[in-house]
Amino acid sequence: MTLMNPLVRPVITDDDGRSEDEKLVTFEARVAAGEKIEPTDWMPDRYRQQLIRMVQNHGNSEIVGALPEREWIPHAPTFKRKLALTAKVQDEVGHAQLLYRVVETLGKPREVIIEELLNGTAKYSNVFNYPPETWADVGIIAWLIDAAAIIRQMLLREGSYGPYSRALKRICYEESFHLKHGHDICVTLATGTQFQRDMLQDALNRWWNPIVGFFGPPDRASVHTDELMRWRVKLKTNDAIRQQFFDQYVPRIWELGLSIPDPELRKDDESGRWLYTEPDWEEFKRVIKGHGPCNAERIAVRRLAHEEGEWVRRALAAAANDQAVPVQ
Amino acid sequence: MSDHTQDAATIDLLFRLADDELMMGHRNAEWTGVGPVLEEDIAFSSMAQDELGHAFAYYTVLHEHLGQDNPDTLAFRREAADFRNARLTALPRSDWAAAVMRQFLYDAAEQVRLEHYSSHPFAPLAQLARKFRGEEKYHLMHGKSWVMRLGSATEDSRARLQAALEALWPHALGLFEPGQGGEDAGASEAALCAGWLAQVCPLLVSSSLQVPAERTAKGQWQSRVAAVYGRYAEPAPERVALLDAMQKVYRLDPNADW
Amino acid sequence: MDSDTQWVTWEVLHQEKRGDPHVHVGSVHAPNAEMALILAKEQFARRQKCVNLWVVPTVAIVSMPYDDADIFEAGTDKSYREAWGYKVRERVRAARELDRLDPKEDDAGE
Repeated sequence: MTLMNPLVRPVITDDDGRSEDEKLVTFEARVAAGEKIEPTDWMPDRYRQQLIRMVQNHGNSEIVGALPEREWIPHAPTFKRKLALTAKVQDEVGHAQLLYRVVETLGKPREVIIEELLNGTAKYSNVFNYPPETWADVGIIAWLIDAAAIIRQMLLREGSYGPYSRALKRICYEESFHLKHGHDICVTLATGTQFQRDMLQDALNRWWNPIVGFFGPPDRASVHTDELMRWRVKLKTNDAIRQQFFDQYVPRIWELGLSIPDPELRKDDESGRWLYTEPDWEEFKRVIKGHGPCNAERIAVRRLAHEEGEWVRRALAAAANDQAVPVQ
Repeated sequence: MSDHTQDAATIDLLFRLADDELMMGHRNAEWTGVGPVLEEDIAFSSMAQDELGHAFAYYTVLHEHLGQDNPDTLAFRREAADFRNARLTALPRSDWAAAVMRQFLYDAAEQVRLEHYSSHPFAPLAQLARKFRGEEKYHLMHGKSWVMRLGSATEDSRARLQAALEALWPHALGLFEPGQGGEDAGASEAALCAGWLAQVCPLLVSSSLQVPAERTAKGQWQSRVAAVYGRYAEPAPERVALLDAMQKVYRLDPNADW
Repeated sequence: MDSDTQWVTWEVLHQEKRGDPHVHVGSVHAPNAEMALILAKEQFARRQKCVNLWVVPTVAIVSMPYDDADIFEAGTDKSYREAWGYKVRERVRAARELDRLDPKEDDAGE
């Protein structure tokens, strides 16, 4: 019997004499039957690499996504807002913790993941490279970016990798609070003074394009995309998810008396699809490559936190070898 | 003592408790998202939320039983000169050693206090003291564990913790500044301070730290350093800075809902 | 008790189907990890549906004391961190009835 430890890192030693092709057949049949893949299963290398890239990116987006919002924790204007915003940012750190553990089950240790974030070789969601300028931004981010994230994550939860699915169950549950907290801020501002309504409209004006871009450029038809769909790593195309977002959230934005800053935006009655102005995908790529308004700042804050925590992690790693001192 | 002066003492006490918790919660929440390791980031943030929650509960008692404004108004609209926090709680965030040390010194004081207040003659306070016991127990467990681990881990971590202890100690003693609303009916600040010293000194010593205190012939601990008081003084710069940040959005329009 | 013949114990975690979390179901005495898995299969999965088992040496488990169970109790209202702590749809509906909103484009409905 081969003993495996699925929690430290997958130990793939099932050299059972089957060819790679035979293993692939079993793997694909399992995914097609709607079953989950677990860390100790054989999996195609492209599947493993794609999942690492995707979940790592997701974890990075949580940890970097916490940064713009945490800037506003000291300024949140009521007890409930201060508590909720702190709890939301805390959840995001918690999500990064869960997601980095998922990546570890695929073979990449957390210290490496963090190093790749800090040296700029790993990506995270573009939307967090824009600055939150006013309190209304906090509402728009928590409501609409988290809404966009939930739509995507509810789909991914049905994906094929067991540990990722399990993490997403909990993440989606927590994000539903984020969304309500954000929506609640927006409703308060929308029903508030003229100054507050203007502040909210201004925030939407600045965030709309990054939010539409959140789902990524239209997928190019490719063998690669087909494969990811077949393996249930990708569940819907970027465009399909974007349409779903418009369907659910454009009416809710309008009902607050807000204007969406896209003159082309409307639902086409014939096709049932939303028409909209494509974000500038060239700019999107520039920002992804590190040239957005806040890329350098985000990574610098993260790096500072990492460096300032270095002595703490080092000291306790040393202390871990000496568990003799009981607490209390 | 007449009911009136008794009320004044209780109001003063509750403002001290509430303002301390508010400032601690505010400062500790600043660590959310930039903690030294992900798991600790989460734990420290929960404690910040607990502290803010306790502040809210104390302000609610002030509002519902003692005729003061509602909690949001008390926190977000009051002037710096009217706050009653000890200086320890508002000091700006610095390194992790200071964060851990402040949390430990503060929560040890909280535990001693709440232990006394759980039978306080003012019933709403006694009730809160009992309700907060579990959260405060966790805070202290957390603080002790960190102080003991960092104190005995490496020379570097011990030195950082020692520096934090020395910098914070006089301010921590300031938590026990006598109230100006008259002596509290529940427990004297001097008695609480003695209880606190008896709690923290042995643990600090066993964590390889040099405590700025000594044992008297009677076996009691006595600080060798004077306390820094600041609850009633001219507002210290860190209190003013904290409130500037905290009240910034609210003050854009204090009459609006936020 | 003869410590020369008493096998150590292993805690057993059971996974009912792929994608589910592993759940603690009990423990077995066994001389090593492999035997623990083999014996746990019949003690804990002979009726219940199962796709996977984990075993962990009992000595590796560290517990919180029940005396400290009060640390899990919330001292204050924590509904601010729950979706059910917000009544946003109700607020929108109420605001619309009071005409405090000026909906754009088509009527959004509920």
